[in-house]
Amino acid sequence: MPPSYEPIPVHELLSESETAKVAKKFGISLDKFPKINEGDPQAKKIGAKAGQLVAIHREDPTGKYTYYRYVVR
Amino acid sequence: MQAESIDTIKFTIVSPELVKKMSVTKLMVPDTYNEDGYPIDGGLVDQRLGVIDPGLKCKTCGGRAKTCPGHFGHIEFVRPVIHPEFAKTVYLLLQSTCNQCGRILLSEEQIGELRPAIKTYVSAEEEEDAARSTELALQGLSDAAKELLLKRLKATKECPHCGTPHPKIKLERPTYFYAGENLRIKPDEIRDWLSKISGSDLTLLGLDAALRPEWLILTALLVPPVNVRPSITLESGERSEDDLTHKLVDIMRINQRLEQDIDAGAPQIIIDDLWELLQYQVTTYFNNETPGVPVARHRSTRPLKTLAQRLKGKEGRLRYNLSGKRVNFSARTVISSDASLTINEVGIPRRIAENLTVPFYVTLWNIEAAKALLLKAEYPMVINAITKEGLRKRVAEANRQELLAAIQPGWVLERQLVDGDIVLFNRQPTLHRLSMMAHTVKVLPGKTMRLHVSVAFPYNADFDGDEMNLHVPQSIEAQAESRYLMQPKDLVLSARDGRAVMFTEEDEIAGAYFLTKDDATFSKEEACTMLAGIGVYDLPRAVKGGVFSGKSIFSMILPDDLDYEEDSKGNKVVIKGGELKEGYIDAKLIGIGGTLIQRMFSSYGSDVTMRFLLNAAKLSLRALLMQGVTISIKDYYNSDFVNGEKLRIVSEVSARASELYSKYKKAELEALPGYSRKETLEMETLATLDEARALASKTLEKVLDRTNIAYLMVLVRARGSVLNLVQTSMLLGQQAVRGKRLSRGYSGRVLPYFRKGDKAPNAKGFIASSFFEGLTPIEFYMHAMGARDSGMTKSLVTAVSGYLQRRLINALQDLYVDRDLSVKDASGALIETLYGGDGIDPMMEQVVRSGA
Repeated sequence: MPPSYEPIPVHELLSESETAKVAKKFGISLDKFPKINEGDPQAKKIGAKAGQLVAIHREDPTGKYTYYRYVVR
Repeated sequence: MQAESIDTIKFTIVSPELVKKMSVTKLMVPDTYNEDGYPIDGGLVDQRLGVIDPGLKCKTCGGRAKTCPGHFGHIEFVRPVIHPEFAKTVYLLLQSTCNQCGRILLSEEQIGELRPAIKTYVSAEEEEDAARSTELALQGLSDAAKELLLKRLKATKECPHCGTPHPKIKLERPTYFYAGENLRIKPDEIRDWLSKISGSDLTLLGLDAALRPEWLILTALLVPPVNVRPSITLESGERSEDDLTHKLVDIMRINQRLEQDIDAGAPQIIIDDLWELLQYQVTTYFNNETPGVPVARHRSTRPLKTLAQRLKGKEGRLRYNLSGKRVNFSARTVISSDASLTINEVGIPRRIAENLTVPFYVTLWNIEAAKALLLKAEYPMVINAITKEGLRKRVAEANRQELLAAIQPGWVLERQLVDGDIVLFNRQPTLHRLSMMAHTVKVLPGKTMRLHVSVAFPYNADFDGDEMNLHVPQSIEAQAESRYLMQPKDLVLSARDGRAVMFTEEDEIAGAYFLTKDDATFSKEEACTMLAGIGVYDLPRAVKGGVFSGKSIFSMILPDDLDYEEDSKGNKVVIKGGELKEGYIDAKLIGIGGTLIQRMFSSYGSDVTMRFLLNAAKLSLRALLMQGVTISIKDYYNSDFVNGEKLRIVSEVSARASELYSKYKKAELEALPGYSRKETLEMETLATLDEARALASKTLEKVLDRTNIAYLMVLVRARGSVLNLVQTSMLLGQQAVRGKRLSRGYSGRVLPYFRKGDKAPNAKGFIASSFFEGLTPIEFYMHAMGARDSGMTKSLVTAVSGYLQRRLINALQDLYVDRDLSVKDASGALIETLYGGDGIDPMMEQVVRSGA
């Protein structure tokens, strides 16, 4: 079987105001979000720094949805 | 649940001073009771240690047996002994410090080198906050730092501070220390040594500077209160002491003898022997399973259960008493089936109902009912009355009137279990939430708890001796919660995929077929019997000749406005306006994952669905009862055509297998990626021979029809599979072990019947006989090999996957779906932004998708 490759879902760095909006939406503080390491290739690519929030636009059999990760060191 | 978060737990060691402070008395006499059976003062059951005999008063707190919590005493050792559980720590300290000056065996430069590794300690020192500093120091050395340290120490032959040569220290388990090869270091010497070590050196070793290492050598032993080691009085009036008391007596006895011998100036050898004996007694007192130490035994040769044994293992304090608690208001007995119950009910034996109670909360508004209840002197009566003060009084003839006069709002009456009460019913292993559901009580004669067969599936129960547990929710909240969340009728659909987990099976499916097949007609009498059996006192419209079609009878239990269509191979079912127009009812509709059940649940809700399920089952059984089904040997007897086909199939696959082999021999067979040619041959041969069964089932399916009852049962999915039919009447097919054809046994062959290297399919587990024909001994043996392998694999897989499942559940147990449909855990941390990625509950999926 030929190998099939799937690109990593798009990571997007959120602005401060967007971050606040997302945190408010879920009613939790930023440290309660799932984490992503600053050194993660995707985090590096978009230049995410610790303390920021990253939106991940995923698509899987259940449909399109957005996941969030809090950047940590 | 996370109410309060614990920041730190600190375990420390106890100093001799603290022991004496905690102790209410020093114990002197190594005995328990005197001749009169009275506790000896200064003995191990000294009344200052607390009392357990009713009637006696504690000499420390003045409390009685029930109120006195017990008090610690202590024993003072004439000669110190090493705490056996800390021998390792002592060993580390002796290895790494100087006997003379007590300094760590590292030069100041070396300590400086180590600094980066023990940064925690340094930063803690800089911190002014004292509490914080000890906390950090307690984190101790990193493993890497410790390793480095030990390496340094090994190389050190003399103390870098005072130049004293440092001998190699040897630890002989459990508690003997030697300097060099033979010179024994006695506990008192060790104690002196350890007391020389400075606090700052201790922190370098990863120890708490506030705790003195010499405390690891015991000079005083804390004696637990008698409440911890109660003695029991046998029927003969003889007292039997607890194992701990026995052990403590031993310790004190040796301690006393040691003292006497020292005072009498006995030779050193005798004193040393006794000292060692004391060490042994103390070692076994802490842990009677210390490696390298003979087990201390009771007079009856039973090993003593000492401190460690009380806590350890499955029967220990932690796993048995703390993790596993016993519960009240519960019952357990054998289960059996009862078709008259609903899936929501559970039949409770009268004996159990009489013993279990439900609280009746007396209020201003129900006090008259409460009084009436209290007056009753037989079955549904009050067992206990709990007053406003929380005093529980047993209701008896003698005090009934008295209680009746005293009763007032705020009281609680514990009345016996009656029909309609809600109870939790559970079967272990409790693997999913359907293993524990809330049923309504139905009190029945007999000794078993009864449930409807349709609800046996989610419990994974059968009635071959299974037992189940019952719990009675006591608070109103618990009862309400059970009613709203846990009733079987509301859980008909699986939370995993929304398919029915409560359904009809086997006979019921067969019956449904006979009831609803196209040519099924019933006389008026038959129709009446069937319908009256489910409480329908109405008849459908008769067809010509005064008979009733089965379809119209079945339609009586369908909602009037139900429109439904289902097309599965060869059976198109059409229901229009609550009337079964076309097709027959089979397992696809009302069996496991039944689509009709699913549809009923989403369109009409739990009560209608439950009623339908029960009615369908009962109606079908009635129909089956009138029809009767017999499977005979005839169903498995093959025509000449089938037998011919079978021979053809066997020779065909054999030919293909040998063709594969010759291709292999000629090196024409190409290896599959990642496999050798030999493996490829084996795999392809197996696939080829395995095909025999598939070919045989094709033949059978072509030949058989609905006149063959065994095949009919397969077709309507009542019972059995085509594979079963193939194996009974055509051939068993290829047997496999570990997913390969049989290969092991004798060298080069499975059984000595065959020649070595025999290439024939039957030499490697291909069985051309059927169960009908019977197996040859060789075939029988091979079949048994395959059967044993699959049996072993199955039991192994269930054990492994069960444990994995359990760990997964434990890891995920406090996740919940929040109001915004995001998944969070108990600490509020976000796990998933939208439940399942789409926010849909599979149980309600139908509802959501269809917009109903």
